[in-house]
Amino acid sequence: MKILVCIKQVPDPESKPRINEANNWAHYGDKVSYWINRYDEHAVEEALRIKEKIPATRIDIVSIGPQRVKTSIRRCLEMGADQGFHLCYDSEDYLSPTIKSRLIAEFCRKRNYDLILTGVMSEDMMSGQTGPMIAARLGIPSAASVMELEIKEEKTSLRIERELDAGHRCSMELKLPALAAIQSGINRPRYPSLSHVLRAKNLIIEEIECSIPDAVYENIAALRETSSDREGLILEGTTQEKAARLWQLLHEKSLL
Amino acid sequence: MQSSIMIVCEQSEGHILAVTHELLTCADFLAAESCAGTTAVLPGNIADVEPLPGANLLVINSPTLREYTGEGWEKAVLLAAEQIKPDIIIIAHTSSGYDYAPRVAARLDGGCITSVTGVELSPQGVRYIRSGFHGKLEMLYSSGKSPLVITVLPGAFKGAAKPAPPGNITYMDADIQLQQTSELHFKTADQTNAELEVADVVIAAGKGIGKVENLELIRQMAARFKHSAIAGSRVVCDNGWLEYNAQVGMTGKTVTPLLYVACGISGSMQHIAGMKDSKTIVSINRDPDAAIFKHSDICIIEDLEKFIPVFLQQEEGSAV
Repeated sequence: MKILVCIKQVPDPESKPRINEANNWAHYGDKVSYWINRYDEHAVEEALRIKEKIPATRIDIVSIGPQRVKTSIRRCLEMGADQGFHLCYDSEDYLSPTIKSRLIAEFCRKRNYDLILTGVMSEDMMSGQTGPMIAARLGIPSAASVMELEIKEEKTSLRIERELDAGHRCSMELKLPALAAIQSGINRPRYPSLSHVLRAKNLIIEEIECSIPDAVYENIAALRETSSDREGLILEGTTQEKAARLWQLLHEKSLL
Repeated sequence: MQSSIMIVCEQSEGHILAVTHELLTCADFLAAESCAGTTAVLPGNIADVEPLPGANLLVINSPTLREYTGEGWEKAVLLAAEQIKPDIIIIAHTSSGYDYAPRVAARLDGGCITSVTGVELSPQGVRYIRSGFHGKLEMLYSSGKSPLVITVLPGAFKGAAKPAPPGNITYMDADIQLQQTSELHFKTADQTNAELEVADVVIAAGKGIGKVENLELIRQMAARFKHSAIAGSRVVCDNGWLEYNAQVGMTGKTVTPLLYVACGISGSMQHIAGMKDSKTIVSINRDPDAAIFKHSDICIIEDLEKFIPVFLQQEEGSAV
C-alpha cells in the first residue's frame, strides 16, 4: 500500500489574527505557535495503523506553506511516517483550498497512491474543501467525515464508515485508489517514540517548488471582526467581583 | 446577461427537507440582485413530489439515487448543471452537502465557498460571508470563478422565502451507475440524552478545561442549578471525557436551554450552530478574543479553573 497523508499547519487558536492593510487577509505575529491541524493528526494516526496491519506500506506526508510547515511534517515522520514532501509556498498570504487541491492533485499524479488521507477540515478555516477536491481532480472516490476505515483483504477496496447528521452512521465500500477525509474521534493519535524521533532526524524532507496557477477561484473581498449577535456584557473587576456580579445577574434572571 | 441559480434540495426517503427552503431564501436574495431564475434539483427515485414556491423543480430519478452516495449525487448534480448551466449552485452544508459539493466545484473547475452564514450586498456586488480564523473573523467573498458552488450552513437563512406561486415540476429519468461505491448500509445511533435534551440550564465544557479532572468543576457548577445538565464540545467527547450523546454542535445535539454556560469553549461555527438559540448565554474563557464572546450575553474573561471555585463560594456565601 502506498499512502499519502495531506497535512496543514494551523496557528494556536488563542492567537490573534491581524487584518492586513489591503483588508483581504490576516496575519499572525512571529511569536505564534503553529502545530498540525488536529483532524490531520488523526489522519496520520490512521495511516500508521494501516501500516501496522499491512507491513509493506509506505506513508508519505505532504504539506503546502512557508518554511515553518517543515516542523509539522517532521512531527509526522517522528510519529512513524516514511517520507515528507514540502510544497514550498513562501508566503503567509491567502492560498485558496481550490488552488491547494490543484497543487496536491498535481503532486499525486505521477506517484500512484492507493489511498490518500486528509483531515475532514482545518481547525482555523473549517472549509473542508481540499480533500474532496483533490479526489475529484484525480477522478477517484472520496468520503468525508470518516469514523472507521479498513482496507479489504484483496487490497482493491476500502470499507469506511461516515458520520452523518445527528450521530447516525453510514458504511460503504469504495474502490481503491480513494480518498478519506478523517473526522476527529476516529482514534487517539500517538506520541512519537524515541526510536522514531531518532530515525526522523536522518530523514530529508524533499522540497518541491510549486507554480501557483493564475486562476482566481475564490476571492476574498474583505475581512472584518466577527459581529456580535448578543449583548456581550463584559464583566470587569477582580475574579471575586466578576463572580459576585454573575451571581447577581443570574439571580435577577431567576436562573439561580 | 441573465444568470441562473441552481439549488440542490435536501431529501430524506423522497421527502424534501425543511433546510431546502433556507436554500430558496438564499437564492431569492441572489435572484433579486441578478434577475436570475432559480431551478431546484432533486436527486432521488421519486414518483410524486410537492412543487416548490418560486422555483421550477427538476427531479432526477434513478434507482441508484434512492439513498445518498457521494458518487450518485455528484453525477446527478453534474448532469443537472449541464442542462441548467448555472452561475451559482447552492447546496446545504450538511453531512451530504460537504461530502459532494467541493467535488462538484472541482469537476466544473469553478469556485467554492463552504459553510456560508449570510450574503450581503456591497457597492461592488454580492458578498458571501463565512467565518474563519477560528471564528474570530468574518470573511467576505466576491464571486470568483464561475460557476460558484456555495454550501449554506443550516439555520443561517431562517425565515420563509417570499410567497411565490408554485413552480413547474419536470421528472427526468437518468441512468446513473455507481462504479466506485458499493455495500451501502445505514446505522441509526441511539444518542438519547434525556437529561440534556430537557435541561433548563446547560453547563458545557470545551477544550479549555485542559484536563478531565476539571470536569468536576463543571459538574459542581451544574449542581447549583435546578434542572441542569452538563455537555461538551466535540474535542471533549473525542478525548473520551464525555460520551458523544453529551456533545453540542453541528455533529451533535442542538439545545435551547434558558441558560447555557460555555466553559473554555472557543466558539467554532460548528459549536455555535448547536447552542445559539439558548435564551441566555454566559461564556468563561481566558482568551479575550475567543469567538464565543461574540455569541454571548455575559462574557467572563477568566481562567475557568480559578473562576468557577470563586463563583461556587460566592453562591454559598450569598445564599445564607
